[in-house]
Amino acid sequence: MLAIVTDAFGGRGGIAQYNRDFLETLAETGGVSSITVLPRQAPDLFVLPERVEQTPARPGWIGYSVAALRTALLRPVDLVFCGHLYMAPLAALIKRLKGAKLIVQTHGIEAWPRPSRSQRAALEAADLVLCVSRHTRSAVLSWAAIAPELVLVVPDTVREAFTPGDGSTQRSALALEGKRVLLTVGRMDPRERYKGHDRVILAISNLVAKGHDICYLVVGEGADRIRLEALARDAGVSERVRFLGRVGLQTLVEIYRTADLFVMPSTGEGFGVAFLEAMASGTPVLGLGVAGARDALADGELGITASEAEFPATIACLLDEPKPDPHALAAAARARFGRETFAIGVRAALDRLMEAT
Amino acid sequence: MTSEDGRFVVIFNGEIYNYPQLRAELETDGVRFRTTSDTEALLHLYARHGADMVHRLRGMFAFAIWDQARRGLFLARDPYGIKPLYTANDGWTFRFASQVKALVAGGHISRDPEPAGIVGFHLFGSVPEPFTLYRDIRALPAGHIQWVDTAGPREPKPFSNLADVLAKGSANPGPTAEIHERVRAGVLDSVRAHLLADVEVGIFLSAGVDSGALLGCMRDAGQREIRAITLAFEEFRGTSEDEAPLAACVCEHYGAHHIVRRLSEQEFVEDLPAILEAMDQPSIDGVNAWFVSKAAKEAGLKVVISGLGGDELLGGYPSFLDLPRWHRRFGLLAAVPGIGFLARKLIAAVAPTFSRVTPKALGVLEYSGSWAGTYLLRRGLFLPHELPGVMDAEIACEGLRRLKPLRRLAANLTPDPISENARVCVLESAQYMRNQLLRDADWAGMAHSLEIRVPLVDFTLLRALAPVIPAFTPGAGKAALANAPTVPLPDEIVTRAKTGFNVPTGDWMNAAIGRGSDAVGRAPEAKGLISRRWSRAVLNGMAPANAQEQLHAS
Repeated sequence: MLAIVTDAFGGRGGIAQYNRDFLETLAETGGVSSITVLPRQAPDLFVLPERVEQTPARPGWIGYSVAALRTALLRPVDLVFCGHLYMAPLAALIKRLKGAKLIVQTHGIEAWPRPSRSQRAALEAADLVLCVSRHTRSAVLSWAAIAPELVLVVPDTVREAFTPGDGSTQRSALALEGKRVLLTVGRMDPRERYKGHDRVILAISNLVAKGHDICYLVVGEGADRIRLEALARDAGVSERVRFLGRVGLQTLVEIYRTADLFVMPSTGEGFGVAFLEAMASGTPVLGLGVAGARDALADGELGITASEAEFPATIACLLDEPKPDPHALAAAARARFGRETFAIGVRAALDRLMEAT
Repeated sequence: MTSEDGRFVVIFNGEIYNYPQLRAELETDGVRFRTTSDTEALLHLYARHGADMVHRLRGMFAFAIWDQARRGLFLARDPYGIKPLYTANDGWTFRFASQVKALVAGGHISRDPEPAGIVGFHLFGSVPEPFTLYRDIRALPAGHIQWVDTAGPREPKPFSNLADVLAKGSANPGPTAEIHERVRAGVLDSVRAHLLADVEVGIFLSAGVDSGALLGCMRDAGQREIRAITLAFEEFRGTSEDEAPLAACVCEHYGAHHIVRRLSEQEFVEDLPAILEAMDQPSIDGVNAWFVSKAAKEAGLKVVISGLGGDELLGGYPSFLDLPRWHRRFGLLAAVPGIGFLARKLIAAVAPTFSRVTPKALGVLEYSGSWAGTYLLRRGLFLPHELPGVMDAEIACEGLRRLKPLRRLAANLTPDPISENARVCVLESAQYMRNQLLRDADWAGMAHSLEIRVPLVDFTLLRALAPVIPAFTPGAGKAALANAPTVPLPDEIVTRAKTGFNVPTGDWMNAAIGRGSDAVGRAPEAKGLISRRWSRAVLNGMAPANAQEQLHAS
C-alpha cells in the first residue's frame, strides 16, 4: 500500500496523529503486506512500526508529486491511501496508473465546502471514503456524487498515554492549588479562529464574580496567541489566563488530569480529538455540540454540550459541582473511542473494500 | 415477528402470494409453523436459504430481517418495487421505514435537500429512486437486497432485472399464435394468486380493458361475490366521457356488484390538503388513486385488485408507437454531435413563441438519438436544458450531475431487451410505473387502510409473456387481455377503450393553483403545461423548508 499524506510519522497535529493511528492499525491487523508512507513533512523523530517504511519528507508540491509517481511506478501498488483531500488528484492518478484501489481520508474543514473540480472528481473515483465524523461525511455527500455506502465514518481514537491519575507535579509547578482550572488544547491559527478561546476568555470575569477562583490554561501554539493575550488584557483577566505553548506528551497528560473542566467551544472541529484526550484523562469536557464535536462528545453521552448562548452559564453550573469520578469517565471514553474500537472500525472498512473485488 | 430460537426478527410490509406453496414445501422439509401468517414463512426461508430466499417469493414486499447471530440486518424489496422501502444512514446510525415521512418524523435525520431528487421531480413528475427530496434518505431500489452490519450498509445488490427477463424472452420468441393462450393462462394464474386473502377482495373498475378483464378473471378464478368500484366525475354525467355506464355494463356482464362513486370539483378542492398531506413524496398525480381508494374504504373494503400495469405490460401506451417512431425518424440526425443544441438555439432565436408553447419540440434533435433520450423526450415534464429556467440554476446543474438522467434511464436497458416493445416496456415499468403509479397507489391506498393488489405487475406473469411481447402489434396485447376471461369482454368496451377517457382533474388542478385565468385552454399542449404548473404547486407544499427559497428564486 502507498500512503499519500501531508504528514504521519514524525508529524505534528491531529491529522498526522490520525494517519499514524490508521497506518499502525493496518500494519498490525495484517490486512496489507507492506506500507510505504510518502510524507510532505516530518519535523520530529519517529519510530516506524513493522511493515511500514517512510520516504524522506518532501515539502515542495512538485518535488513531492514527482517522487510519489516514481515510487508508485517502481513497485507494485494494490492500494492507495490518501490522507488529505488536497492530495486526492495525485492519489487518483496513481490509482489509475496502477489499477489500484483508492481510500480517501477526510478530516474537517478541508472537506466541508465544495472543493475544486479535480479534487471532487478524485474523491468520486475513490473505492472508499473515510470520514472522521458524521458531520464531515454529510458535507462530503453534499458535494460528491458517490454511493453513500462507500463513505464510512471511522472516528478518531485516543492514545494509550492519556489516563486518569496523578497531576500534582503540574498542579504545583503551575501554582494551581485551590483554583478551578479550565483548559483548552489546540492550535491558535489566526485564519481559522474557530476553537473558541475567545468565548472562554470573555466568560472568565463573570465566573470570578460568581466566586470561582478561575485559572484558564491554554495549551498549543499559533500566531493568534498575541491577539488572544491582548483580549485577556482588555477583559482584565490576563493574570488568570496562562498560555503554555506547545508541551511534551507527559506534561500534556498531567495538565489534562489537573484541569477541572476541558472547554473547547469550537465551531469548526472535524472531530476534536482533544475532547477524547481530556475524557480519557478523566476530565469532563464541554463543547458546543456543533459539527464534528458532536461525535467526540457522543451527542452528550460522554461530553457536555451547550449552545453558544448557554455556554458561560453551563461552565458556572459545572464548576459548582466537584469534579466527578475520573475513572468512570475515562473508561467510558476508552470503550467508545479506544484503540480496540478504532481497530474494529478500520478492519471492517478494509474488509468492505477487499470484499468488493 | 421473532423466530422460535430468537435468532431472527422480521418486519414485513406486503403480501407473499405463493405462501401456500412455500409453506407446503417448508413443511415437507420438516419445518413447523407456529402461525398462519406469510411473515413466518420469511423467517424460515431466510434461515434456510439466506439472501437467496428472495428468488422464491412471489408478491409485493419490503422487509427487514435482523440476524442476532451475525449482528446484521438484511433488507429486500420486490422486483417491480410495488412496496416502498427507504433508508437513512448518518454514518453512525442506520434507519429504515416504508415512508420518507416516517423517517423525517423520527428525527435525527438531516433535512438538507437532494438536488437530484428535486431535478428528477421536475423531469418526470415524480422523484426517481433511489433519490428522495432529502439527501440523507434513499430508496432501496426495486429488486435489490442490502446488508447492514457494524461497518454500515453495503451497496444494494440487484437480484432481479426486468430487462434481463425481457431480453431472454426476446431471444427465445414464442409463436404469435400463442399470444392469446399465454396471456390467458398467465393473467388467470396471476389473478388467482392475488386473490389469496382472509378478507373480501374487491376491484377498481374503469371502463378500460385492464380492469374489466381482471374482473372476468376473478370470476374465472372462482370468486362469486365481487364488488367493483368505479370513480366517475360529476361533470361528465350523461356525456360520452362518463365511464360509469360502460363499467356498469361490464359488471352486469360478469355479475358483479357495482358501486359508482361520483366525484365533484368541490370534493376535490376539499380533499386537496389531505392529499398533499398523505403524499409521501411529491407527485403530479395520485389524485384518482386517492379518491377511488376513499370510495373503497367507504364500501368497507380492505383489499382490492387494480388493473395498474396493463399498459406497461401489454403495450397500451402511445409511447409504444411514439418511441420507436421518433427514434427512427430523428435518431440518425440526432446522432450528429451538437446538432440538437444548435437547432434548439436557432429555433428559440427565430421563433420564440413556438419554443414557449411547444417547449419539447425543441428537444427532439437533442434527445432522440438514444432510447433513453427519446423516453425522456416523450415522458419528461421538463427537459434538462429547460431546468435552469424553472428552478435555481445551481441546484438544477448540481441535480443533473448527480441524477445523470440519461445514463440512469439507459441503465434500465441493460442487458438490451432487443425488441422495441420490450425496450419501451422496461422504460415505462422502471420509470413511470415504479416511481409514479405504484408509489401513488401505495400512499393513496395506505391513507385509506386499503391494500391495492396489482396482478398485471407480477414477475411470474412477465416471465410467461416475455417471449411474446416482441410480437405484439399495436392493440394486440390488449385484445388478448380482453379475451383472457372465459367470457370475453364485450366488444364495445374494447372499441371504446381505444380512444381513451378524459379526467377533469387537470382542469381542477389548474383552478386549484389559481392560474385558471391564465387561459391555458384546451390546446394539445395544454395538459403538459398544466402538469408543469401543478408540479410546482405540489413541490411548494412539500419541499424541504430550507430548499424552498432557493427553488423559487427564479
